[in-house]
Amino acid sequence: MKPALLCSLTVLLASVAVPATALSEGPLYTVVEGYKVDANTMQGFRTWRSAACDRCHGPNQEGLVGPSLIERLKVLTPEEFKTTVLGGRMAKGMPSFGENTKVTEHIDQLYAYLKGRSDGAITRAKVVEIEQ
Amino acid sequence: MDMAFKHRLIAGVVFAWAGFAHADAQLDRAMQDPGNWAAQAGDNYNQRYSSLKQINASNVGKMQAAWTFSTGVLRGHEGSPLVVDGIMYIHTPFPNNVFAMDLKTQEILWKYEPKQDSAVVAQMCCDTVNRGVAYGDGKIFLQRADSVLDALDAKTGKVVWSVKNGDAKLGAVNTNAPHVFGDKVITGISGGEWGVRGHLTAYDIKTGKLAWRGYSNGPDEEMLMDPDKTVTWTDGKLAPVGKDSSLKTWKGDQWKTGGGTTWGWYSYDKELNLVYYGTGNPSTWNPSQRPGDNKWSMSIWARDLNTGKVKWVYQMTPHDEWDFDGINEMILADIDVKGKKTKALVHFDRNGFAYTLDRTTGALLVAEKFDPAVNWATHVDMKTGRPQVVAKYSTQQNGPDVNTKGVCPAALGSKDQQPASFDPKTGLFYVPTNHVCMDYEPFEVEYTAGQPYVGATLAMYPAPQSHGGMGNFIAWDAGKGKIAWSKPEKFSVWSGALTTAGDVIFYGTLEGYLKAVSLKDGKELWKFKTPSGIIGNVFTYMHQGKQYVGVYSGIGGWAGIGMAAGLEKDNDGLGAVGGYRDLQKHTALGGSLTVFALPD
Repeated sequence: MKPALLCSLTVLLASVAVPATALSEGPLYTVVEGYKVDANTMQGFRTWRSAACDRCHGPNQEGLVGPSLIERLKVLTPEEFKTTVLGGRMAKGMPSFGENTKVTEHIDQLYAYLKGRSDGAITRAKVVEIEQ
Repeated sequence: MDMAFKHRLIAGVVFAWAGFAHADAQLDRAMQDPGNWAAQAGDNYNQRYSSLKQINASNVGKMQAAWTFSTGVLRGHEGSPLVVDGIMYIHTPFPNNVFAMDLKTQEILWKYEPKQDSAVVAQMCCDTVNRGVAYGDGKIFLQRADSVLDALDAKTGKVVWSVKNGDAKLGAVNTNAPHVFGDKVITGISGGEWGVRGHLTAYDIKTGKLAWRGYSNGPDEEMLMDPDKTVTWTDGKLAPVGKDSSLKTWKGDQWKTGGGTTWGWYSYDKELNLVYYGTGNPSTWNPSQRPGDNKWSMSIWARDLNTGKVKWVYQMTPHDEWDFDGINEMILADIDVKGKKTKALVHFDRNGFAYTLDRTTGALLVAEKFDPAVNWATHVDMKTGRPQVVAKYSTQQNGPDVNTKGVCPAALGSKDQQPASFDPKTGLFYVPTNHVCMDYEPFEVEYTAGQPYVGATLAMYPAPQSHGGMGNFIAWDAGKGKIAWSKPEKFSVWSGALTTAGDVIFYGTLEGYLKAVSLKDGKELWKFKTPSGIIGNVFTYMHQGKQYVGVYSGIGGWAGIGMAAGLEKDNDGLGAVGGYRDLQKHTALGGSLTVFALPD
């Protein structure tokens, strides 16, 4: 019953706030109408763009030369995600972003944005910030 | 003695005395033998034409796979092997291994495995292609991904000399093939998406000593440009570029991170002693951030081989707003242009226009669309040489954070690096093309050394209201600026074409077919499904009296991305069917070489 209830609430409010696990206090991301997000998640989107992740993972995270992040984020734990992005997976062609300060400083926000996309809560790649 | 020959001989001697480049005798001799494939395009003119005709239009239907070779490397395989005097030189994408194979025994004579920091892969996003090696002076030249240019002893594979051409940590990496012209090895640089300042560089073939380096942008002296002597097409005629022709077209010192990289196929006219090549996009992809024409990105160049001095230059896409790199090959051919015999340079640009210039003077003769889908500009004004941009498709006018939709062609161009071929009999060019459009949304980016400096998000898809495919293989009349015939393809044709005296044209497809089509009308005569998608260039050679045709398979490169990007647009939802999914039905990764011949 509980998932159904949550689901109908989601529809009713058109808003999702997913609790963070180990990353930080408060919700991991908040999204309204599928594309309006909190400041944290918005920063994650900016990080995604500035690091040009779309060149390998596709403009909608659907995967190109690199795998679909919609799928991968269903599998990777937040810690595994961090290890992969910051350390890279050279054998697979995934570069290390450990020296890219835009990424290292905002790795949690990047995770929040991509997790929101993977969860299906953020329904399009391009997001805007919820107006205060 | 033939008088013309005698004249050339005398001229040659005079040129040598005057300090003109000494031709590399070994390469010149190797290129004259049609049994060899001694340069990436077969010659210095980028014609990709072979006078071999044992395999011809009437018997090509019987052609069979003769032998295959796995390169042991996945990812995109561009370029082709070389064949010189019974030895084949095979290269791979990163880590850029090279094999020398004895064609008689098919024994690997030597293998060279350069030690490269795998971190360079990070600067090569999104694939690790390498467009092949060059031969000359008894050496094999390998332009590695990490920007090191290695000269190997062709007999042993031992390193003779090695030189660092750029700083890979800053994104200055290499994918281009080096080219041997005269006594020099010419190479370029990649990294337009990392804010790398492009240049063309010549090294001494014997020692690796830097002969000259000409930058694509910045102060005149660093571009090796003479404000009074270097000319460009101005008001319907050629006129000196004037002082600070590049600096004046950039805001502040943006030229220092301004791109204009040089990763294409170069050509060389021995009589004029000029090297021809093109420069890539200005960095970033967000045009609003870099006001001005951004010279000399997106330009065709003619430099003196000995000194690097620029004889003429022509900018095709001033102030790029779509990532239409101008690096595609410059094909040199003597053809009829509007009824006049002309020493022409023909170039099929990413921007969808095919240009015919007088290669001696740099005069603009023809500029016409080679795909009717092209919509970002109505035409090229022949007086100013400038494209007339359509406001609706201007990502500059629409501004950052606005998604400009339906731009044709897509960023990967009506044609990318996949080289076209020429046929001296028909005087036509045979061009592998893309038929893809895009949505382009620029956004503000900040430059950080060694980090991506892109600044736009793209979605690409097959050209709407057309045949539904993403490519065409066309025959082009460069004298008239007209398509002679066009053969639709399901996917972009990302394989270099080959024309032969047997009246057959060869090209590969992304599904993995090697196709033979009729020179006359493009009618398909034969095809064979190779192990993976083809983005390599077709080549031919003769061994022990038998003609062979070969090609690399190995899907990857930007073609793969282009396909993938066709998957969906924002509103299509996830899991939509599209180009990429279709491509997955046909092929998978894998690097190999397949060689064909007629049955005994």
